Amino acid sequence: MRVILKTRPREKPRIPIEAEEIIPQNFLRKNEITVFHGNKEKSLDDLFFVTIEGPAVSPDQVEVILTGDTGVIKRVGEYMNAGRIIIEGDIGMHCGNFMSAGEIIIQGNADAWLGREMRGGHILCEGNTGHYCAAGYRGEKRGMRGGMVEVKGNAGDFAAEYLSGGEVIIHGNCGDLPGVEMRGGTLVIGGDCARPCGNMTGGTCMVFGKASQFLPTFRANGSQEVEYAGKRYRMNLFRGDVANRGKGTLMVRA
Amino acid sequence: MKIEDVVCPFCGCLCDDLVVEVEGTRVVNVENGCTLANEKFMGDHRLKAPIRRAGNGWEAVSYDEAIEETAAILLDADRPLLYGWSGTYGEAQSVGVHLAELLGAVIDNTSTVCHGPSIMAIQEVGHPGCTLGQVKNRADVVVYWAANPIEAHPRHMSRYTTFCDGFFVKSAFRERKVVVVDVRETDSSQVADEFVKVNPGGDYAVLSALRAIVRGKRDLIPPSVEGVSREQLFRVADLCMSAKFGAIFFGVGLTMAQGKNKNIRNAIELTEELNRHTKFTISPMRGHWNVYGSNEVFTWITGYPYAVDFARGIAFYNPGETTSVDILRRGECDACLVVASDPGAHFPRACAEHLARIPTVQIDPHVNATTHLSRIQIPVAVTGIDAEGTAYRMDGVPIRTRRLFYGNYPDDLEVLEKIYRIVREARG
Repeated sequence: MRVILKTRPREKPRIPIEAEEIIPQNFLRKNEITVFHGNKEKSLDDLFFVTIEGPAVSPDQVEVILTGDTGVIKRVGEYMNAGRIIIEGDIGMHCGNFMSAGEIIIQGNADAWLGREMRGGHILCEGNTGHYCAAGYRGEKRGMRGGMVEVKGNAGDFAAEYLSGGEVIIHGNCGDLPGVEMRGGTLVIGGDCARPCGNMTGGTCMVFGKASQFLPTFRANGSQEVEYAGKRYRMNLFRGDVANRGKGTLMVRA
Repeated sequence: MKIEDVVCPFCGCLCDDLVVEVEGTRVVNVENGCTLANEKFMGDHRLKAPIRRAGNGWEAVSYDEAIEETAAILLDADRPLLYGWSGTYGEAQSVGVHLAELLGAVIDNTSTVCHGPSIMAIQEVGHPGCTLGQVKNRADVVVYWAANPIEAHPRHMSRYTTFCDGFFVKSAFRERKVVVVDVRETDSSQVADEFVKVNPGGDYAVLSALRAIVRGKRDLIPPSVEGVSREQLFRVADLCMSAKFGAIFFGVGLTMAQGKNKNIRNAIELTEELNRHTKFTISPMRGHWNVYGSNEVFTWITGYPYAVDFARGIAFYNPGETTSVDILRRGECDACLVVASDPGAHFPRACAEHLARIPTVQIDPHVNATTHLSRIQIPVAVTGIDAEGTAYRMDGVPIRTRRLFYGNYPDDLEVLEKIYRIVREARG
């Protein structure tokens, strides 16, 4: 089954749409799907032109395509557990929150909290992403726990905050404090970043660009070769953050 | 008439030992107050009556007309924002939260541009804090980090720390050591026993280094960390560890610098490390009078201290998403009610521009920068001068403010209750 959702023109286009019900399994159940436009609850038809093509007997056979002015739509793919969502443009905050399986492909940029606390599945963002990519919610002790987030462009500040499992790959640059409070999983940064892995207690972070404002609380621990994007790089190894328990591994290109 | 034990309505210190002289509906003299208090009590820039924008100018309207139009604007909005609240008292803040819930609005207070990051850090790792009375009577080491109390909280040092004798600190000036950490020399650094000058944006690294030293990892510290020498870091760490009772006070220089809430978290975790050696506490230097009270009121009603979004009918909180600056910068909200604060003077330009584009209503006693962005302004009594109510000091102690005289203005509570009644009637 292919579901195509094209946004309708809106009088107030900057008011966010909260659309956690846009997940493949909901289109299989044929229940009425509602979304929030500001403080008003609306049916999906009020805000989207909806086209459904072909049948499906399970959620993993459902593909949802979002098109139009999609940059202010929040929570698409929240709690998704099967199927695929393709966004033919930008997407708003919290895309793929808590998802456990399936695939989300964002052909434009993603706003903040992409893949927040996800447990499994795969998110590919072909553009840039905002702050707190693959991070945790406020006050939460664990961020992303499984699955994979891949960003071809740059990420904002606090990427992979509280990362506890799974893999986050940012091919471009990261902002400030990527991997802050990290406790497990793997974070790969293809470009530059500032102050990586502050207060980390576990997990592995690799920085293939320049790590500026390097924190003084990481202990040098030799070097090793690592492969990234088809090439092998010599990486300096650090253990830290010793301001905390210091059991994480940080590698920075030599 | 002289009135004693008056509570100051300006900063988070809520000094409650002022003596104010009143003649009719005017304050003519203030004793014990700092310069800021004197200006607050004696200043005379109050708006006389409600005003509404008319063409390129303003027209006077009645209170009832202004209130009805405000309610209509809020009812018509799909994403209204109710911002401010720190200059008013708890009872009015409470009505504000109920109004937000009824409207499906976002309600936020001035923490969003001051100590919001401190609250986020406290939510992550807790708050080893204490009252100012404890600091006054016990602290022999006081650290002001990215705060300049002599200018921002002028009586903080004389009432609670450097110049104030305590029960266990008989001669404060001699027995208390004061450390000031800042990116530049300030009036406060001039009176410090130790001034630590940090590179801008370097606080997080310095805090991490201090934590490592306190954990016994001195060998790891490089000769200089963000402009601070290793020797000075060792000296400060030793001073803190040898204290009988230490207190860290931090300001917006830490919360609004690079790293934001992570700076505060690091400072709290340093405090926790120090508590393995001695007693140490940490507290934010809350600036805007009753901002702590707005956090309290919001929390006891909604569960969240600021940036509460009722759009879905239930409270949702996510600073960065539901905070006023972010909502305004993204141009999300389509109406705004500003109560007891001045975002026009303190928010980024893009936010002020959006406030000017949408219908903005201000409830405030004074003509200020937000007046120029507003469609309607409703003047009210000043809490602590011609209105009374409950406010919270920066250390979380509630204090009842006094009404010094009966003036001609309604207070915040009265105006907000009228708006609430109209909205409730319209919403059934």
